[in-house]
Amino acid sequence: MKAMLIDATRCVGCRSCQIACKEWNNLPGEQTEFFAAKGYQNPRDLSAKTWTLITYNELKVNNRFEWVFGKRQCFHCQEPACATACPVRALEKTSAGPVVYHPNLCLGCRYCQLACPFKIPRFEWHSPVPKITKCTMCADRVAAGLEPACAKACPTDAIIFGERETLAAEAENRIHRNPRGYVHHVYGKDEVGGTCVMHLSNVPFAELGFSPNLPRRSLVQHVQHAMQPIPFLIAGLGIALGAISWIVNRRIELQEKEQQQCPQPTHDSPQ
Amino acid sequence: MSTTNTRFPTIGQIVLGLLAVVGISLIAYRFVYGIGAVANLSDGYPWGVWIALDVLTGIALASGGFVMAGTIHLFGGRKFHALARPAILTAFLGYLLFIIGLLVDIGRPWNIWKAMYSWHHESPMFEVAWCVMLYTTVLFLEFLPAVFEKFSLTRIHAYWHSLVPWLIMFMLGFFTLAMTYSWLWAGIIICILLLWELAMRTKLMPRDKQMPIILIMAGVIFSCMHQSSLGTLFLIVPHKLHILWYTPILPALFLLSAIMVAPAMVIVEAILTEKSVGHKAHTHLLSRLGQVIPYLLSLYLLLKVADVVGRGAVPYVFMLNAQAISWWAEITIGCIVPIILFLDPAICNSHKGLLWSSVPVIVGILWNRMNVAVVGIKVEDWEIYYPKWSELFITMGIISIGLLVFQILAKNLPIYESEAPSGAHN
Repeated sequence: MKAMLIDATRCVGCRSCQIACKEWNNLPGEQTEFFAAKGYQNPRDLSAKTWTLITYNELKVNNRFEWVFGKRQCFHCQEPACATACPVRALEKTSAGPVVYHPNLCLGCRYCQLACPFKIPRFEWHSPVPKITKCTMCADRVAAGLEPACAKACPTDAIIFGERETLAAEAENRIHRNPRGYVHHVYGKDEVGGTCVMHLSNVPFAELGFSPNLPRRSLVQHVQHAMQPIPFLIAGLGIALGAISWIVNRRIELQEKEQQQCPQPTHDSPQ
Repeated sequence: MSTTNTRFPTIGQIVLGLLAVVGISLIAYRFVYGIGAVANLSDGYPWGVWIALDVLTGIALASGGFVMAGTIHLFGGRKFHALARPAILTAFLGYLLFIIGLLVDIGRPWNIWKAMYSWHHESPMFEVAWCVMLYTTVLFLEFLPAVFEKFSLTRIHAYWHSLVPWLIMFMLGFFTLAMTYSWLWAGIIICILLLWELAMRTKLMPRDKQMPIILIMAGVIFSCMHQSSLGTLFLIVPHKLHILWYTPILPALFLLSAIMVAPAMVIVEAILTEKSVGHKAHTHLLSRLGQVIPYLLSLYLLLKVADVVGRGAVPYVFMLNAQAISWWAEITIGCIVPIILFLDPAICNSHKGLLWSSVPVIVGILWNRMNVAVVGIKVEDWEIYYPKWSELFITMGIISIGLLVFQILAKNLPIYESEAPSGAHN
């Protein structure tokens, strides 16, 4: 399964990846504005027009303030909650790795947005014909044997593309070779069942805006106990309801017959 | 049907009409400029009051249909017969309204039918979609006899009665196939239903003269699935839903709370329509229903408290934050207050008492669904969602349309039986 490894310590914040993403995916530019904190970050957040974003974080590293750059994009989970959530398979986990979107199927219910633990899918709120949008890991390029546009554009090899197992080993290796240069955690290796985009960093991931407390089990497993018993419930209800109605209504029938044979004085009729 | 001496249109109807017009205009605006133009929803909070009110609460409050139909035709509660048709009509309209609400809320409603062929049985939303389609069909079939009677379509009525069971077998079989991808399971379900139907046709098993038993059974099955699946939707967000509501048994709690609100809904609806539609509420039947409510509420309350204790969430109950306060409000209004009120026999025997003890049960359900879908959802690093006025007006507009249609149908179709002293039925 293909994957990406993003090493924050190698990123210089040039945003070539953002530009390459827009070019390859034909995404329009955005009207940008200044906003509090993170002044150099541009634009402020992911959107339907911006599928990947370099976040600018001025943080204390070894008692010095330094710029640390994080990359925000779809994690392409191994067991994606968005694809599980989608009622019509409009989001699909391909065997090659990327999670892709089929707008011709999408209902626009936005359950994928609710389900996503990384807050990635974006919805075109101001369109009468809205779509869900997100990074596709350049699935079309990957299918053609190329690497994603952002990885191709990165001048410092902060983004590398390859087989997931190889990249996970490489990530462990980098930490091992330089234990003081990294936090000892490969973000995405185990989060929500493992993702196909993994991150390395020299600051705690929470400081880069990554959710630190995600469950290790994939979110898919949280719904299985409620979805799997469905056929048993249908069958059980089918048997139980029929049987109860048989017994109850048979008794009522017998009572009525009895009453017809020996009519009693009317008892507690409604007042 | 008694003649009504109320003026037309009444002030209430004028208000409802205005709300409906405002709602429809806003809906038109939304279809031109997108959801963002009328709602405060965002990529962090993609679901808001529309989901909480139109979908979760609306469906829960439509539970009267399957609970009453089941009680009357399956569980021997034939004396409640007079309450069946109003409950079924309420549920049918409730579902239609919910579908209108859904068409407004989902971004690409023209694709809604794609759930029929692009199957994904792992998705709770897929189950929801199928239950909506199939149970609305069941409700339509359950509602038809009133139309047949009104226009004296005796022959069609007879056809309906003999054909419906086969249609239901097909629907439930197909539903099972979609939920399991297994022909074996679909076959098992069809066989079970076939056995009951054959037992009835051979007069081995008593046959209901008004309603095909299989139809009522399907209504109960689809409803149980639908009510619980709305809870299942939220199982996928352990990272977003507050610990007071996130529990693996959320589907069961949703189902039980829907069942317990059914009698309250039937009571309120019977008493409120007394004037506007001009029929006489069956006091003794309503008090019998009222006597059941505290038991259902206590069971639910017990389960809810046991769940919070069992998951070790008790400390969160006593925190001073919006979630804890809202949790207490839900429990107090929806469970504790009505339990106390309904245990008083005097309250159960008066219209006013019944009405004002049932209303908190309904408010409690509404509050619970709001808690699960809005108050309890917290997304890190995201501006908190508050509904925009236009979101609320769209919901109110849709409800107003429903109330107006209900009045028209209830006046013109044989929905309400007059209170006959000698037991009009059987």
